[in-house]
Formats: sequence, structure tokens, C-alpha cells
Amino acid sequence: MPELGQNQLGVDLSSTVKVMKGSKVKKGRKKHRDPRALSPAVNTIITILLGILAFACIFPFIYVIIISFTSEESIVRNGFQIIPKNWSMDAYHYLWSMKEQLFRSYGVTIFVTIVGTVISVFMITFYAYAISRPQFKYRRFFTFLAFFTLLFSGGLVPTYIVVTQFLHLKDTIWALILPLSMNAFYIIIMRTFFLKSVSESILESARIDGASELRIFFQIIFPLSLPGIATIALFSTLGYWNDWFTALLYINNPDLVPLQALLMKIEANLEFIRQNMDVANMQLSIFSTIPQESAKMAMVVIATLPIAVSYPFFQKYFISGLTIGGVKE
Amino acid sequence: MKKFARDIYKNRVWLLMVLPGTIWLLIFSYLPMFGQVLAFKKFRIDPDGFFASVMNSEWVGWSNFKYLFSTDDAWVITRNTLVYNIIFIVVGLLAAVGTAILLSELMNKRLSKVYQTSILFPHFISWVIGSYFVFTFLSTEHGLLNHVLGWFHIDAVSWYSESKYWPFILVFMSLWKGVGYGSIVYLASIVAIDRTYYEAAMIDGATKWKQIKHVTLPMLKPLMIILTIMNIGRIFNSDFGLFYQVPRDSGALYSVTNVIDTFVYRGLMNLGDIGMSTAAGLYQSFVGFILVLITNYIVRKVDEESALF
Amino acid sequence: MKKKLVVLLALVLSIGTILSACSSKDSSSAEKDGKNGQPYEIKWYTIGTPQKDTDKVFAEVNKYVKKKINATVKMTQIDWGDWAQKSQVMINSGEPFDIIFTNGTDYVQNAQKGAFLPIDDMLNKEGKDLKNVIDPALLEGIKVNGKVYGVPTNKEAARQSVYTFNKRLVDKYHFDLSKVKSLEDLEPMLKVIKEKEPKITPLATFKAYLPYDYIFNNEMPFAVAFNGDRDHVVNQFESDLAMSTYKTMHSYYKAGYLKEDAATSKESWPMDVENWFVRMGDSQPYADLLWSRSAKYDVVSVPVEKPVTINDSVSGSIQAISATSKNPKKTMEFLTLLNTDPYLRNLVDKGIEGVHYKKDKAGKIEDLPARIDNYNMPTYSLGNHFILYLYKNDPKDKWEKFKDFNESATAAPTLGFHFNSDPVRSELAAITNISKEFYPALATGSVDPEVYLPKLNKKLKDAGADKVLKEIQKQFDKWKSTQK
Repeated sequence: MPELGQNQLGVDLSSTVKVMKGSKVKKGRKKHRDPRALSPAVNTIITILLGILAFACIFPFIYVIIISFTSEESIVRNGFQIIPKNWSMDAYHYLWSMKEQLFRSYGVTIFVTIVGTVISVFMITFYAYAISRPQFKYRRFFTFLAFFTLLFSGGLVPTYIVVTQFLHLKDTIWALILPLSMNAFYIIIMRTFFLKSVSESILESARIDGASELRIFFQIIFPLSLPGIATIALFSTLGYWNDWFTALLYINNPDLVPLQALLMKIEANLEFIRQNMDVANMQLSIFSTIPQESAKMAMVVIATLPIAVSYPFFQKYFISGLTIGGVKE
Repeated sequence: MKKFARDIYKNRVWLLMVLPGTIWLLIFSYLPMFGQVLAFKKFRIDPDGFFASVMNSEWVGWSNFKYLFSTDDAWVITRNTLVYNIIFIVVGLLAAVGTAILLSELMNKRLSKVYQTSILFPHFISWVIGSYFVFTFLSTEHGLLNHVLGWFHIDAVSWYSESKYWPFILVFMSLWKGVGYGSIVYLASIVAIDRTYYEAAMIDGATKWKQIKHVTLPMLKPLMIILTIMNIGRIFNSDFGLFYQVPRDSGALYSVTNVIDTFVYRGLMNLGDIGMSTAAGLYQSFVGFILVLITNYIVRKVDEESALF
Repeated sequence: MKKKLVVLLALVLSIGTILSACSSKDSSSAEKDGKNGQPYEIKWYTIGTPQKDTDKVFAEVNKYVKKKINATVKMTQIDWGDWAQKSQVMINSGEPFDIIFTNGTDYVQNAQKGAFLPIDDMLNKEGKDLKNVIDPALLEGIKVNGKVYGVPTNKEAARQSVYTFNKRLVDKYHFDLSKVKSLEDLEPMLKVIKEKEPKITPLATFKAYLPYDYIFNNEMPFAVAFNGDRDHVVNQFESDLAMSTYKTMHSYYKAGYLKEDAATSKESWPMDVENWFVRMGDSQPYADLLWSRSAKYDVVSVPVEKPVTINDSVSGSIQAISATSKNPKKTMEFLTLLNTDPYLRNLVDKGIEGVHYKKDKAGKIEDLPARIDNYNMPTYSLGNHFILYLYKNDPKDKWEKFKDFNESATAAPTLGFHFNSDPVRSELAAITNISKEFYPALATGSVDPEVYLPKLNKKLKDAGADKVLKEIQKQFDKWKSTQK
């Protein structure tokens, strides 16, 4: 079988739209054996293999949850155990006692994540789509413009100056959103995605019908590219949710500290104590900032769980791509 | 000039599309690049702000770069950085593509979903927490691994002072954290492949293996090339947490865990020299840049469609 | 490609110019503040976890400060762990502010870089009263290139390392602590504890003590001996003392007196967990009292050395005036007031009387819950200790004892000498890496010094330690000639 070149791909894809429309009909049909299906034996092997991998990946998280329910005394005496001697809810009681800060931080994180993701998805897909089109005369220049920033960054201090002294964003919610809203890495991924999955011929026919480029973008490209867009959205969401460094730099106001930054602050404070034992021993107020081990793990749990649980939401769009080929969910 | 104006007009839709992104890139990426001149300066603070500081600092030529090359250790860390990154790129690519294909082939889609969610988990865990996990396995006294070795009557290993195991541990941990993220990029791409190709291949009597080889992989090729080119650009950089926090900054392991980023971090601790740290960053970027241009050039010679620019 | 780069460069530069024009405009307009009768707002950055009641307390502070010197204060705290990075970025970026907390090598480096204003002249004018209350040893000790770059906090000016023992165990086994003079003397006690107290780690991990005055810190191989030859900078790792001390430590390690992972452990050995027998730390007058209080069981300390004034101990806490301050004189006035006015100093430190603390007839105070919860400020970073109110359970002569302690201390050989590392920066970067590789393992006894000390010294030599030693000696000699 010959290798599939870009041209062939283009021709074939022109029929995709039709296939897509047809898929709804197919979906309603009775279940038939997928031509692509694996033999049961191979499928079992793969299932087990991936199962091991998945377990290795999720095990630490289960472990964290267990530790968060372990009594502090048990941790001190026996270390982290997979089945602890004494269970305890103390860690979560402790977190409840700082609920005001926690809820506020949750609010900040959620707002930043949602607004940030929407902004970055739009900026990235627009940019990536434009530089993927052969009609765009300056596409190579703009590709390079984005790519160059992957390698050469301005450095911490100059960036800090731009944000604080030029844009005056210090201690505002925008300081948490704007610095992360573009990412050349995602632009390049999206560009590749568009190059591969959006063919000129669909666009040609639309253009002949007199549709404007913007309308084409929203009515044809956007739905067609959902798997790619969902990936970028997922990555942006992860990026915003996990970000603590921008908060470290730009936020002094405790009301604007996101969840991850709260967690990192605790880690950083611990590190400070370790390195400055003598100061710490005299200044007891430092120690009051340090929760116990189990509470720290409980923080990890509450900082990770919501975003992990929302992952299936993105997955829906990957799967919707699958249905094009008539494979059932 | 007139032609230029006409070109701008003709491309106005596209230009409009790249406008927001371009503004962002100029402000957040290009504007701060001004600071890179510090690599050639001895930074002194001026009361009139950073610009005045940069302008009025004394030029020192290449002396900020010297420490990156002047000792034997400096070469060891350069070697470490390169070798680890090459391994990470190759193994990471294989693992991510492999996992993505397996996930896409899995018949039970609900299970596939669960698996995807799980393998993405490590991505959420910072290396600080990650180093705790590694510690629970490797701790000499209480570690799980030494327990297991005990069952087989093998002597306990002092993991944090035996450097020979660490190349494997580091590669394993890097995979553990990165494979989920990588495989999802590829998975999204696989999902977007037109099913008719496979149907055509089926009619031709292609086996599963042939389908993967002749349809899936060629379709993923552009993405693989692009991501590899981008990774090559960062071949002199490394994940600081992986090399600093996971080995618990253990001196006995430096010969295999010290990379450029950790070397610079430790080396400048007593100096706090912003010029020298800028120099290190510029050096890493510059080498990466050259390598990317070379790779891209080669790719373009072989297969123009896949080249980045 | 070339053309594109040129275009790019031009773009960056042109935007850069616009930006610099912007920022310079900023500074000129703000300068007028505080000169036309309007109270000047002093921006003050200090270390510590931000507190809920800061605004409340500073409303009071501002009432008072406005009346006294026609200024207001905006204090911002930056959390302990964030401090190092954030303060450094703020300083390097040339952000305008007035007062910043600093200490140790950070202070010296930033002073050398020009981040702080020299305050010598102001100390004779606006800060006259201040100069009268601050221990002259402190002001002398923090001079960089002959100039004072900040207001040191009046507190203990000397360091005294001590071995601290768990008193319950000392009493239980009738140990005679008066015999403890050196690391070797601990042996018989450690042995007993190891045998009879399985739940106790005999040695809470510490790095073995060497009697040297360090140019950078105890990891780096550049030091002057406290005793004997006080004129020459040497590599302390080449001394016989280092070998014998680390050998003792190694024998302790092998005997299991230390945790097995001592060299890499991240354990911080909090006082309130009673799982140790002896530890090492820096003391101050009545430290045992303070420690016993936080531990909730008794501890007792034995000094390892006589109190000695070193660079690190005098620069433990300094309030520097930023070079970017718009009104240094007003700022100096405020620092003077803060360090000399008991009302203001206690207000900033303890909060509002009746809200955060209460005072009894004898003038002693007691924290109220509001202070612990909402205004838990670190004391050492805020200013003069000797005008602070005493707590109910504080000994009456606490601050007198501090003064005695400071006076009893001897000055270390390099007190006031600050090495300019510019000529040997590359060597230092490599040497720091090597020191970090070997020091923790050697000083905790985790490795055999017979093997590893020679290895360390060879590596140091290869990385150019001799060149650095020579450069330090040169600067040290020059500095000494100006001191006499």
C-alpha cells in the first residue's frame, strides 16, 4: 500500500463532511462488528498492559489519599503506609478550619482557569489556523515569530517588569491570566493539526459559495477540529490549574492566591525552615504556617481532584471524533 | 511599496487572525528579550529602574559564559544534559506514540477512558510531591523496594548514594510523568484520522499491524517530526525538579544527576549573579536554536511538507 | 532568515525605547510626593506570612506616624518561602519602594550591586537618635566597602553554637554535662541512649562544627581560623581538625547514632517532637527557656564556643533603604522612629493593646487570641528588640542579658570584610557545586573522610580553589591595612 501523501489526504477529506453527516445514520444502526476490531487475545493483552501502566500512574494518587487519612501520630511513628495503623480525619478538619482561604482560592483558580482557557483557545486557534493556510503570504514569518519564542525567552526580571511596570497588572487577576494565555508549543501543535486535517478542497467549495473566511472558520473548521481544540483546551486548563509561579511573582494580596500557589507556599515555607533552622527556632511564628504531613497531602487531594474529574469532559470531544468513522462509543 | 500595501490588503483576514496572538507575543515574549543583553554585562542596579540598570551596566564580553566551560565538571554536566535529553526524546516518543495507538485500538472504550484519565494523573503532581513518592520506594530504612529485596534475601541498597541506578530511575520517572501528556497529543491526532483510510486498507486485506504501519504512523509523522524538532530545541534544558528534587540533591549522585540547570542553580547560589544566569539561558537557547535550524533543514530536504518552516 | 531577524530586532528595540520612555516618565511624576505637604507613603517590604489584621494595625500606625513625621506606611509581607525569589526579582527589576528587609549574603551582594542606599550621612542627620541606640558593633560589622547600607536590628549581635540536650534523658541517666567540651565528649552518652532508648535518635542530624570564620558559608573551602593564625585564609577541609572531627562523626554514623539518610534527609527535627537526644543550634540569652516553652518539655544547652561576632550574626536582620526610594530622608526618619519609639515599635510588633495583647500593671504583656490568629508577626525582622515589652514569663533582665552577651563576644577575624567575588566568579560557580557534592555527606559522617576528604581537596584544586584563596587573601590583606 502506498504511503498517503498530503494530496491524497486532501482529496479524501473532501468527502469527510459527507461521511460525518452520514455517521448519524450509521450510529443509529444495529451494532455491527467493527472492521478495525482486534482479535480478542490481542485485545486482552493490550488491556492488561495498559492496565498496569494506568495503575502505576494512578497509584501515587491513591497513596496520597490514604496518607491524607492517616493519623499524624502514625505517620511520625511508622512513616507513610499503604494500610495505616490509625486512620484519621484530622487533616480535613484542619483544612475546614481554613475554609475561607480555601474557598477563595478555589474561586480564583476556577475563574482564572475558565477565562484563561477561553482566551487562549481563541488566540491559539486563530493564530495557528492562519499560519496553516497556504494563501497566507506571511505564514512562514509568523510561524517563525511564534517558534522563536519557544527557544528564547526574555528571562524572569524583564518579564516581571513588563507585567508590573508596563502593563501594571501586579495584584490583579489578569496577572494570573495574560502571561499564560499564549504558548508557542500549542500553536505549533495546532498548526500541524490544521495542516493535516483541514483540506483546501472543502474550503474551496465553501469559498465558491461566497462564505467569508471567518464564517468558514466558525462553521466548518471549528467543528471539524474539535479533537485538536479539545486537546489545546485541555492543556491550557492544566496549565492554568497547575500554575503557581505567576502567583508567586505577581500576587501579594491573599485574596487572589490560587490553590496551587497555596500548596507551593507551604512547601516553600518548609524548605525555608530547613535552611534557616536557627531563625526558625527563635521565631516561632514561622512554624504556625506549617500544617502537618497529612494535611499537606489532603491539600494535594483537593487541589488535584476537581481538574482530574473534569477530564472526561474533554474526552467527549476526542470520542466525538471517533464516531465519524462509525465506531461506537 | 504599493505591492506591499496590496499584499497586506489581500491577506487582511489572515493578518486579523494572527493579530491578537502577535500582540501577545510581542509584549510577553519579544519585549522582555531585551534583557538578554545582560548575558554580556556585569549587572549593577541603577536607581532609575531596570532599563537604566541595563544601559549603565558595564560590558564584560564573554566572561559571564566562562563558568559553563572552564572545568572538567562543566563538561560532565553538558554530557549528562545531552545524553538524558536524547534518551528522553527517543524513549518518550516511542512510549507516547505506542500508548496512544494502544489506547485507540482498545475495544472497550469505557476502559480506554479510565486508562486515559489515569495516565494523565502524574502530570498533576509536582516534583516536590513526586519526590516524596520516590522516597517511599527508595528510602533505605522504610522503603518499599528494600522490603521487597528483603524477601529475596538481597541486601538493602542505599539508593540515594548509589549513582549507578539513577540513570534508570530518572528515565523511568520522566516517562511516568510525561507519557500521559504526550500520548494525548497523539491520541487526538489519531482520532482525527479519516476512518475511510482504514476501511480502504481493510478491503486491500491489510492486517492490523499493516494498518498501523501504513495508515496510522504516516498520518502521525508530521506531528512526530514537529514535536521532535521542538524537543531538540530544548536539548540543553532540563526539568529542574526531576534532577534536583527527585534525587533529593544527594551529593553522591551528582556525577549522574547534575545537568546544566542544576549546575547553574547551585553554582550561582553564593553569587546571585543575574548576568551569569542569563548567560546560561542564552547559551542553552542558542545551541537549541542552531540544532533546530539544522534539523529543520534536513527535514525539509527529505520531506518538505513536514518541515516546521 | 537574516532579514527576518533584523526586522525582529528592530521591532524589539523600538518597543524597548517606548517602554523606557514610559518608565522614566513615571519616576519624575512620583518624585513630588511628600514635598508639598502631602504625607509621603513609605513602601515597606518585609518577610513573613501576611496577616489578616495588618491593615487594622497599620491604620493605627499611620495615625501616629502622620502626626510625628508627616508620612504614612504601607507594609507588605511576603511569605517565608517566597521571599528569596520574589525579593530578588523586585530588587533587580528596579521597582520603586522604600524599605526592604535583608540579611546575610543577600545584603552584601545587593549592597555591592548598588541596590541599597548608603546611609552614613543620614545617620548623622535624620538618624541621629537611631545611631545612639544601635549597638556600634552592628553598624561597624555591616559595612560594605566602608559604608553602611542599612539599619541593623538591635538584638543578639554574636553567635554562640551550643549542643542542646533533652533534659529528661540527661536526668534519667545522670549524665554530667559539665564534661562536654567537644564532639568527642558526646560518645559515652550517645552509646547509652542508643542502647536503652530505642525510640530516640541519639543525634538529631547536624553538620559537625569546625571553629572557623567562613568567607561564604560552612560548605565553601575558604575560612580563617578563630584560634591561632587569624591572618590567613585557608581551606578548612585541609586541616587536621577537619579530618579528626569528620572521623568522629563517621564513627557515630557507623554506630547508628545518626539517621541512615542524614546526608540527604529533609527532616527538620521540630522541637515539639521528642525523638532526639542531642542537637546543635545557635543560642542567645535565655534560649533554653524559649526552646523548652515551644517543645513543651525541658531542654538544656552546653556551649560549643564562646560568643563570637561574625559577619552573619551582625547581618542577621537589616532594614535597607532601596536605591529606588523617592524620599530616602523621610524613610530614614521613619526607621529612626520605629527603632527608638517604644509605642510604635510595639504597635508594629505586637498589635493594638486590648485587641492583640493586654498589659498588666507591671508593664508586662500577654498575647490575646487575636494576635496568635491574626497578627502573628516575626520579631527579628522588624526592628530594635531592646524597646519591646516583656512577656509575663520573660525574665526581667532579658534585654540586659542580651547587651551583656553582645559585649562579651569577641570579634571574628573577618568581621566587616566582604569579599568581592567578581574576579573569580567562574571558579566559584564550579566550587559551589563541588562543595555541595561532598560537604553534606562528610559533615554528617555519612562517608569515610579518609577517602573523601582527599578526593574533595583534589577536586577543589582542579576547579581553581587556590586562585580563589589567593584573591581572597589579597583583598583581605588590603582590607586589614585600612582597618588599622
